[in-house]
Amino acid sequence: MADETARAEAEGQVAEVAAPATANPNSPYAWPKESRLLSTRVNRIDGTLKVAGKAKYSYDMQRPGMLYARILRSPHPHARVVSVDLGPARAMRGVKAALTIVQPGAKVMYVGDEVAAVAATSEDIARDAIRAITVRYEVLPFLATVEQALRPEAPAVFEGGNVKESQVEEEGNLQAGFAAAAHIVEQAYNTQVQTHVSLETHGCVCEWDGDKLTAWASTQAVHGTREGFATSLEIPQANVRVITEHMGGGFGSKFGPDVQGVTCAKLAREAKAPVHLLLDRREEHLASGNRPSAYARIKAGVSADGMLTAFDGETWGTGGAGAASGFPLPYIYAFPNRRRVHKDVYINAGQQRAMRAPGHPQGCFITEMLMDELADRVKMDPIEFRIRNLPPQAPNAMWREYFKIGAQRFGWDKRHATGDQAPGPIKRGMGCAANRWGGGGRGTQAQCEILPDGGVVMRCGTQDLGVGTRTLMAIITAETLGLPVSAIKVELGDSNLPFSGGSGGSTTAPAVSPAIRVTASKALQELAGRVAPALGVPADQITASDGRVHVKGDPSRGLSWADACRRLQTTPISVNGQWEAGLSASGTSGVQFAEVEVDVETGVAKVSRILCVQDCGLVVNQLAAESQCIGAMIMGVGYALYEDRILDRNTATMVNPNMEWYLVPGMSDVPAIDIMLMNQPERGVIGIGEPPTISTAAAIANAVANAIGVRVRSIPITPQKVLAALDGERAGGTL
Amino acid sequence: MTHPVPESRLVTPDLHCAHLRHKGMYVLSTPDPGEAAHAGRWDATAYWCTRTQKASGPDGNAANAACCVAGNGRNCCH
Repeated sequence: MADETARAEAEGQVAEVAAPATANPNSPYAWPKESRLLSTRVNRIDGTLKVAGKAKYSYDMQRPGMLYARILRSPHPHARVVSVDLGPARAMRGVKAALTIVQPGAKVMYVGDEVAAVAATSEDIARDAIRAITVRYEVLPFLATVEQALRPEAPAVFEGGNVKESQVEEEGNLQAGFAAAAHIVEQAYNTQVQTHVSLETHGCVCEWDGDKLTAWASTQAVHGTREGFATSLEIPQANVRVITEHMGGGFGSKFGPDVQGVTCAKLAREAKAPVHLLLDRREEHLASGNRPSAYARIKAGVSADGMLTAFDGETWGTGGAGAASGFPLPYIYAFPNRRRVHKDVYINAGQQRAMRAPGHPQGCFITEMLMDELADRVKMDPIEFRIRNLPPQAPNAMWREYFKIGAQRFGWDKRHATGDQAPGPIKRGMGCAANRWGGGGRGTQAQCEILPDGGVVMRCGTQDLGVGTRTLMAIITAETLGLPVSAIKVELGDSNLPFSGGSGGSTTAPAVSPAIRVTASKALQELAGRVAPALGVPADQITASDGRVHVKGDPSRGLSWADACRRLQTTPISVNGQWEAGLSASGTSGVQFAEVEVDVETGVAKVSRILCVQDCGLVVNQLAAESQCIGAMIMGVGYALYEDRILDRNTATMVNPNMEWYLVPGMSDVPAIDIMLMNQPERGVIGIGEPPTISTAAAIANAVANAIGVRVRSIPITPQKVLAALDGERAGGTL
Repeated sequence: MTHPVPESRLVTPDLHCAHLRHKGMYVLSTPDPGEAAHAGRWDATAYWCTRTQKASGPDGNAANAACCVAGNGRNCCH
């Protein structure tokens, strides 16, 4: 590694990867060197509940006298609301409350923008009632596509302009960089708008008890949503409780009460009854966020010996109505001379929100496609080319090693030159791509109770988005107390529990794990203090393992866990603890390989297998970490081949707001998935929710080019695009 | 126990409207120095206003860190 770093520096690369934070082996709460449960495969403690259909999601909440609410949404992409008449809806039998969301005089900015809402005794009545609301609109000019928004004659729809141009970002000497290039590639790339498609939709059930609000919300932040409700409703935060017992995904889009949450609370207050308001699938696609599109015109240079020399990029994209669309570019690889300018293009469509690794899949796709094209020019193997141009290796920058071991595992040596020459219409190819992510967290607090009957309760106000956080808390508590996982009761997903931040940016595991470790350790220290007299040693000489509390190094000299806890008599141990530095870190790296089959007669591409080589510091639960990788890569397959929010260019109406025409991978589309999880216990815990989804689409797109000998520079790679590309100019072979 | 301090580099209590929010204000992260060096100045932040819960404020104009600042003349700012 030192040699590689020295070589990279000698070649003039900037060592952009600084030494990352690592775990502190001298922490009093340091992770055990020999663990019983950590890094093993532990089934989810709530798995049975979920499989049996007994897990209660917010959608499942049923409260006595509960009403159902629906939202009336704008049919226009841009309009001023002249008047809203709730009278006809209020007059309907079964309607208990109604309100306007957009006041007369204000504007709606996209089809699906919220206008008004009603609560009724049944969902059918609520749907009928919103149709009865009379709204008069002044329809305004609108922009349905990026191309329309960029036209000089485009109507000025957005305050301050339809396009927001960023500053030019420039490093090095671009002219000198291109002068040093033996080959130059000039190409255009683009990625589509992708929606989150959380299986559980956005929304909540709200119930008032006097001036106190309880919301069962599908949220990635119970504490943050409490703050959001209180601020929006102008009530004390202490009067709000947010509960998320189980959750069906959010992917970055659920960080507050949202329009529907506040609407639900207001309707419940007016109706004096609990109200259920969770969005349907159409509403999800229209109004609950998306990943922005990305377009890039790139000119890049490479020297004859395969070193990147220059990068000049003009990029743009749309995050919808007035929202940003930035992404990192170039991604990971070291261009010594580079310039980039980006434009946010506003159109009349639902706004973007953070979506699993915001910006990274776009930047990765564009850069990794470009890298293969540059490798083509110098007739170099894509992996060798990448390794030459990666930043120096570091614990948070392990791509060089991962590309090598991944290539061996994947059988990269069997990859043919670009363009499968095998007879028949089915062409096979391989591709690869790299990713990076932060994934460091902090700030979580927890409480541990050890009860006189031997019970253990670990409480934390984090939330389990469906990724296994509940099990992670049980594993770490059990590991620390020397108990089986089944002996631990976990309570989470409640804003009345000790504070934890929102679950975003892959920060949950690195924020929660240290807090649980510290809190459980402190609880054990207290228990040790209670049993020390009986064992005749100081408390600091006592530990716990295999269900016993005993003298360190001598398990026979101690008490069973139950007997030790009985010494508490009537008073439990209750300990609070919090995240401490030294048990977690930030900075992950990974690479992926994909193999595809493309039918050149129909244009249909299918991913046959993917290999993911990924680190996340100390692996807490091998099974859950692998599940994160699997889910992330399936999402990446959808991004590469299927998913696309399609707006009608004449009406700005989404034409596929469902799960029939907005295509997500089905079971038959899921490839064989192989995962090499690279455990780095010395670094402590780092998050893994985001990084494995970043490079999947890029690897697949490069594999498609390797299969058919033609590059499709736009995702999703639909059959039409494949056939069009086959009719177009052929790219050169990579070897 | 000390309570964790949110550190939003985009929205500050002294400069920005008290109703302006983005996801990063609810997530307590620790930066990866490599990521910070790599990231450049790209921005994909999605903002919202707590008064509307939308990406626009009560006056219908965009809610973001550039617009929702002291002295911007918008009467909805706090």
